[in-house]
This record gives sequence, C-alpha cells and structure tokens, in this order.
Amino acid sequence: MAALKTRRMLVLTCAIATLSTAAACSSEPGALPGSPGSSGQGIIDRAPVASAEAIAASPTAASIKQRGQLLIGGSLDAPLLSQQNPATGETEGFDATLGKLLAKYIIGSPDAKIVNSSSETREALLQNSTVDVVFQTYTITPQRAEKVAFAGPYLMSGQAIATMKDKTAIKKPADLNGKKVIAGANTPGIEAVKEQAPNAEIISFATDPECVQALEQNRGDAYVQDLTLLAASARLNDKIQIVGEPFTEDPYGIGLKHGDDAFKKFVNDWLVQLQQAGIWQQVWKDSLGTVVTGEPPAAPAIGSVPGS
Amino acid sequence: MDVLLDNSGAFAEGVVTTVELTALSFVGALAIALVVVTFRVSPVKPLRLFGTAYVEIFQNVPLLLWILFFVFGLPKLGIQFELFTTAVLAVSMYSAAYYAEALRTGINTVATGQAEAARALGLGFGQSLRWVILPQALRSVVQPLGNLTVMLLMNTALAAGAGLVELSTAANRINLVEAEPILIFSGAAVVYALLALVITAITRLLERKLVIHR
Repeated sequence: MAALKTRRMLVLTCAIATLSTAAACSSEPGALPGSPGSSGQGIIDRAPVASAEAIAASPTAASIKQRGQLLIGGSLDAPLLSQQNPATGETEGFDATLGKLLAKYIIGSPDAKIVNSSSETREALLQNSTVDVVFQTYTITPQRAEKVAFAGPYLMSGQAIATMKDKTAIKKPADLNGKKVIAGANTPGIEAVKEQAPNAEIISFATDPECVQALEQNRGDAYVQDLTLLAASARLNDKIQIVGEPFTEDPYGIGLKHGDDAFKKFVNDWLVQLQQAGIWQQVWKDSLGTVVTGEPPAAPAIGSVPGS
Repeated sequence: MDVLLDNSGAFAEGVVTTVELTALSFVGALAIALVVVTFRVSPVKPLRLFGTAYVEIFQNVPLLLWILFFVFGLPKLGIQFELFTTAVLAVSMYSAAYYAEALRTGINTVATGQAEAARALGLGFGQSLRWVILPQALRSVVQPLGNLTVMLLMNTALAAGAGLVELSTAANRINLVEAEPILIFSGAAVVYALLALVITAITRLLERKLVIHR
C-alpha cells in the first residue's frame, strides 16, 4: 500500500502516462473506482462536530481550530484511498474522506489540506509539525510507535500476491522463494516477503502503476502489495490476477505527533463516534466497497494492536 | 547510531551498488562523450548535426524521465535489459551530453595553430584529433570533468526509479523498518559526501599531474 505512498514526485506517474504505457494511469478519470464525489457531501453533513470541552481538552485540536485548517500528510494518487480527481480537484477515497471528516470534527467545516507526503518523509513531517495528522495507510508497528503516536487502527488490511494471469507457478507466499518479487518501495510488502520467502529477490518501484507495469514486463514473477491496492489494479488491468488470500495483517493508524496523548485520545474518541454512527461503514462502502465485494468489514477495535 | 550499525549490511550493499553504478556510468559516459564531441567538431555536416542533437536532447530532458523511459518505455519497443544495465545506460547517455560539452570547451582552449600545425604535418582529421588536440583538451578540463562526475554520483540516486537498491533506496528500506528518518538519511548523506570527496581528491591529484601551464 505504501507503494502508492512513495511518490517521489507526481512527475513519475505523469511520465509513465506520457510514455503511453501504464494502463493503470491512462484510464479516464471518470472510470476510476471510488470516485463518488457526490455521495461524499452527504457523509460530511452527517458527521459529528466536537464539543467545546473536547476541543479544550487537547491543545493541538484547539490550535487547529484556531488556524481553521487541518493539515494532513497524505497522498494524491492512491486509487480508492486518497486520489485527486483531476476534473474536480477534490481528493477522494477512504483516507481522504476520513481526513475531511476529522477536519469537520475539529473546525466545524471539512477544511483539510493534503500535504503530499511519502513514506520517507512522514515521520519527519509529524516531528517538525508540518502536518497535524498523517492519513496514508500508515501501518502501525511497535518500532514506528516509538517515533509517532498512532490513533486507531482505523482500517485492517493485508499483503497479497498478484501475478500475470498466464502464470500458475505461484500459489502461496512460500512459492515466492527463489523468484523475483516486485514490491512497492517502502511498503510493508518488502518485510512480509522477506519473512515468508527469505530467498526471494525483491525489486521495488516507487509507485503502484510502476510496479504493475514492471510485472507486465516480466521484471518479476509476482507483485506483493496490499490487497485493496491490488484489487484496484486488477480491476483496471485484466491481465493480472490476485493469487490466494492476504497473508499478513496490516493495521492502519492515523499518525500523530509522538507524545501528544491528549490529541490521540481526541482522535480515538472521534473514530469511535464515526463507527457508532455507521459513518465509518458508509465511507468504506463509497470507496473500497466499490471494488471489494460484500458488506463492509467490522470496524477495527480502537487500540487493539501493539503500538496503537 | 545503533540503527546504522544494526543495518550496516543493507547499508553497505547500497553503497556498493552506488559505487558500481557510478564507476560504470562514468566509463560509459566518457566513452560516449568522446564520440559525440568528435562528431560535434567534425568537418562532416550530418555528423556535426547528430552531435549537436545528441547534446541538446539529453541535456534538455531531466534524467529521471530518461530513466523511466529506459525502464518502462523501451520494453514497449521490444528493447529490454536487466535493471542495472538499464540504469547504467540511462545515466551514461545522459551524463555523456554534459561530458561532451566540457570536452568541447577543452577543445576550444587548444590554439588554432596546433590544428594547423597538425594538418601541415600531414595528419588527417582523426589523427590530429587523436594525437594533438584531444590530449591537450582533456588535460585542460580535468576539473570540470571531476565536477560532472560528482554530479553523476548524485544522479545515481535517481536509479531508485529503476528499481535498483542503491544507497538512497537502501536508506529508504531501512527507514521503513526503523522509522528513524533523520538519523538514517543523515548517515546516507555523509556517505555521499565522502564518496564525492574521494572523486574531488582524485580530480585534484590528476589536475596537478596533467594540467598544462600556459
């Protein structure tokens, strides 16, 4: 998932599109899954606003309210999660909508600005207060929790394997041993592959479309990436298939400045409210639910994983 | 500091790839540049045009786009190499444009009388370039070539776009696990600086030995 996060520059994606190669890039914006710009408004109207006492309890929340804008470290090119719609300029998807809802909770209006961050920079962006929160499919790990406070988890996902449809040799993670495996640069996929198939050779590319392209060009035998991203890619590109079930559990958290316990409690309270009001489920349906079949999963229990 | 020591293996692999990439790209770039600059000063018009076109095309498009084109575009045309080879090719061809321009500056410093003398001796274009002009030209541009080589070293970081695990990608990967960006990337920066210092030192040494005092 982080592959999508690792956009060194937007230019990467554009370059690929210019080279007229990436199927994933070249489909028209309207056809992209998870672009329900209209339904987003309804959710925002229903979303809660924090009470004055709740704001007063967190100096961070109070200063964001004072500023009138929530600064979010996030992505602009992650389909279904946080993707900027070129037609409207709105950022859409699961993470993006939650970001707007958090802004409304604090400020009273969905006034959020996404600072395009990457997995290389997001800890630093939080540490030096460039952004207030990070919404970027940020996997909670104990090591990261020493640098960053995590509210949540707000979404559970997992790494899965994709191959070209004409390949049948890889059926489970252990089959990756001795194979070339593509993974997004700076994604948990790299560690997951090392664990499950220590003899796999890992090649990484910066963005999800690049990884898919590399898979098509046979630079690797398989592509390991978060299931939701793979689902989006597989839907846009009928030459690839998803093999088997996810083989890891990635709990995604909302990154906050380390040590800001009051704000962490504030954000966790908000997540609970969203879940209880059914808004979390609706956001899921409007974004990931357009690709993943079935009912929305149960929302993860707040604080249920180490590091959160 | 422990973070860097714990991951010294992965870090070292990245450094080795960066050094290999730099060394091979340097050799490639210099070889291509010699050909291109010969074309640029040649008396044959089509060759001159080719040399000029080469320099203009490679200088005016960012290296990152070249790398992406070589990695993802060329296979569409049926040309596909290993990733490492692809990266060396892209960096060499791009840097060659700059080396060629530096060499041309060097050629311009060689007095016209030298070329005339060579011709008077009966040397042809190739021979006078090879034996009279290029040796003098090369010796007068040691410093700029050194600077360009430092730039080449820095540019190899863009090979991450080609999926290579060079120093900057290695740092990224370590940071993915350790989440210590400031320390890890500072460590990578120090290594880049040391490598650049090595290139600068070699350049100084060569310059002291080779420079022509006029």
